[in-house]
Amino acid sequence: MKRLTVAVAALALVGTMGVAKTLKVGLASGAYTMDPQAFNETATNSILSNIFDTLVRFDENIKVHPDLAESWTNPEPKVWIIKLRKGVKFHNGNAFNADDVVFTFNRIKNWKKSGFKGKVSMIDKVEKIDDYTVKFITKKAFPVFLRKLTYVNMLDKETVEGKSDEWIGLHPIGTGPYKFVLWRKGDQIKFKANPDYWAGKPKFDDLIFRVLSNNATRTAAILSGEVDIINRVPVVDVNRIKSNDKLNTFVKPGLRLIYLQMDQFREKSPYVKTSDGKNPFLDVRVRRALYYGINEDAIIKFIMKGFAAPAAQFHPDVVVGYDPTIKRVKYDPAKAKKLLAQAGYPNGFSVVLDAPNNRYINDAQIAQAVASSLAKIGIKVKVNATPKSSFFPRTAKQDTSFFLIGWASSDGDGSSMLDGVVHSKDDVKGYGRYNNGKYSNADVDRLIEESDANMNPASRVKEMREAQQIAIVKDQSIIPLHYQVDIYASSKKIKFVPRTDSRIWAFDIK
Amino acid sequence: MLKYILNRLFHSAIVMFVISFIVFFIMFKAGDPVQLLLPPDATQQDVIEMRHALGIDQSFIKQYEAFLRNVAKGNLGNSFVYGQPALDVVFERLPATLELSVLAMIFSIIFGVPLGIIASIRPKAWYSKAIMFLSLSGISVPVFWTGMVLVLVFSVLLGWLPSSGRGEVYLFTSAFTWDGIKHLIMPVLTLSFFQLALILRLTRTGMMEVMMQDYIKLATAKGVPRRVVVYYHALKNSLIPLITVIGIQFGQLVAFTIVTETIFAWPGTGKLIIDSIQNLDRPIVVAYLLIISFIFVAINFIVDVLYTFVDPRVRV
Repeated sequence: MKRLTVAVAALALVGTMGVAKTLKVGLASGAYTMDPQAFNETATNSILSNIFDTLVRFDENIKVHPDLAESWTNPEPKVWIIKLRKGVKFHNGNAFNADDVVFTFNRIKNWKKSGFKGKVSMIDKVEKIDDYTVKFITKKAFPVFLRKLTYVNMLDKETVEGKSDEWIGLHPIGTGPYKFVLWRKGDQIKFKANPDYWAGKPKFDDLIFRVLSNNATRTAAILSGEVDIINRVPVVDVNRIKSNDKLNTFVKPGLRLIYLQMDQFREKSPYVKTSDGKNPFLDVRVRRALYYGINEDAIIKFIMKGFAAPAAQFHPDVVVGYDPTIKRVKYDPAKAKKLLAQAGYPNGFSVVLDAPNNRYINDAQIAQAVASSLAKIGIKVKVNATPKSSFFPRTAKQDTSFFLIGWASSDGDGSSMLDGVVHSKDDVKGYGRYNNGKYSNADVDRLIEESDANMNPASRVKEMREAQQIAIVKDQSIIPLHYQVDIYASSKKIKFVPRTDSRIWAFDIK
Repeated sequence: MLKYILNRLFHSAIVMFVISFIVFFIMFKAGDPVQLLLPPDATQQDVIEMRHALGIDQSFIKQYEAFLRNVAKGNLGNSFVYGQPALDVVFERLPATLELSVLAMIFSIIFGVPLGIIASIRPKAWYSKAIMFLSLSGISVPVFWTGMVLVLVFSVLLGWLPSSGRGEVYLFTSAFTWDGIKHLIMPVLTLSFFQLALILRLTRTGMMEVMMQDYIKLATAKGVPRRVVVYYHALKNSLIPLITVIGIQFGQLVAFTIVTETIFAWPGTGKLIIDSIQNLDRPIVVAYLLIISFIFVAINFIVDVLYTFVDPRVRV
């Protein structure tokens, strides 16, 4: 027995000293490319955030922190001077300096296939002042400037310049805490620690991301100890994982709102049938009736199994512009019926609700629940749930009368949804691309445009809230349902930090 | 023979041309991939620019013509999503799928044929009945269920085998390393159950039919040993339908490993094609279907040639 104890102790010692520490992460979806400026999509961004640095970075609660920018000033509304961190090296040994910053921004601006154009579109010019100082000039005063920078990963000019897009897509070289080792597509991505990382050597020597897109497979992998962390824990498996004493579960409120929008611009809408032949959604009383008539508590309880937060407005409370005074109304079918009667539809009407069936958590089931809720107030809803590949192109053409969709305020600022969903569709000014119900209110447009260029945080939020009061409380331009939450499971051997932006940032995991 | 091969090649080329046109047309009609490629906060201007950069703002005829021009140069275009040449993306994933299908097929044949023969010789014996019962479950139990039960037992409960992934890969396959083999066991088993049962039942039926033939009776009457009668005279004559089915089934295995690949997070083409269809990634879908149809055509050809060896009466 004594000998055994000694042996175990010796083994434990070897374990802590010699063996390389590996962090294995099981993800519901993997990266599509290693080019941090190509496809702007959460899973790819999450994985690449471990290789690349940005000028500023979000912490786990989407507050902006310095990263490769050491400090910044905003001497004039349209001018930002950024001081860069000195002594930072790319993984190939090249020094990071102002030339790389200028190059990175210009590549996104000039490359037609970049998905990150929206992050830099307000930047007019990037100039090098000296090796460690960069000047940005924006087209208008641009209060969300720093938040947008969290999406711009710094590339090495010497390495990337002149290389083909295909080459850049396979050879990521950044300044971040981990270096690229290999990418077996659809299987795993392997990184190793960058010992020269400017903020210190990472805790884990190897970082492995595995793609486990099947829910049951992901659960099996964490239960069998093959991975240390999984994201998107299926709600049906949460209790099973909780009952395992080697595992922890984490629930982190996310940024994505699931909502309904309806045709608010056509006199006759293609997928609505009413007694008078008109589009009932043009009447705010009908829109409000839908809001009162949907039993969101039941959706959260029975479909989301409690893993969602009821929503009353465009963004959750961590987002700039959130209005604490806007509260969700109580489910009230009687009041909904009364509103419908006042609008001239005492017997309701029938409508097709379009929804994706492979984009958001339980999207098709939520649509079904909405339909059965609305049936109780006399609105016959036929759910048309289709794959995202057909849903999104259709809604983009407004080939729908009523649809379920989601929006994540990924900048942590309310302007993204106000610009994209609430402002009238305006292709020239670049507003309202996602506003496919075509809600339009001139006052709201004015307030949004003013707040977009207002550098005073307090009066800016006031304008945003004013716009939201009109768009949600007065006009009911959308029907908010709930905010998604992210569920993770991790081994108790590590200290996992879930993040609001849904990324897995290994440097913070101990 | 040469003329036959050339003829077959010509027909295959026509088949693949037609397939490319149909797939191209369906994907063209399916919708605008840029709506999925760009984030929601992109502007309409970004959408227009990206459509132009991908060349999908052109008419169908122009796009298909550009595609054919590229094909002539051996290029099927770049994936919209991955940004890499479509052929590279598919070929990178193909070994994983082929490895799974080939091993599953070999496993099914090695066990299916002998078990089928055993079950055919004494159909009323208890072991024949047991074999037939098991083969019935192999045909009727869904692959998804088999896979999940294997994972539950061998990974979650016993911890003997890894639940997912491909393990160590050496020379395009995981079959040469111990770690790789451990990863292969469950997916190959899952994929073979149905094939094994099918081959077993076909072998049995074929054998029982042949064993009734006059020439078998003659051979037995002449005093040819039982073993020679069964394994030479009878088996050889029951092989033709078996080879046909194995050929078709192998094509099926390559094309439809998707369920098995999903359960075991196996990085093969099945998962790739589903993702690509969902993302409207036309170059990948076209490249994949062309490769798969080429594999089907090749298997058919091999099956035809095999016939001539098994049965000298068959001429190609």
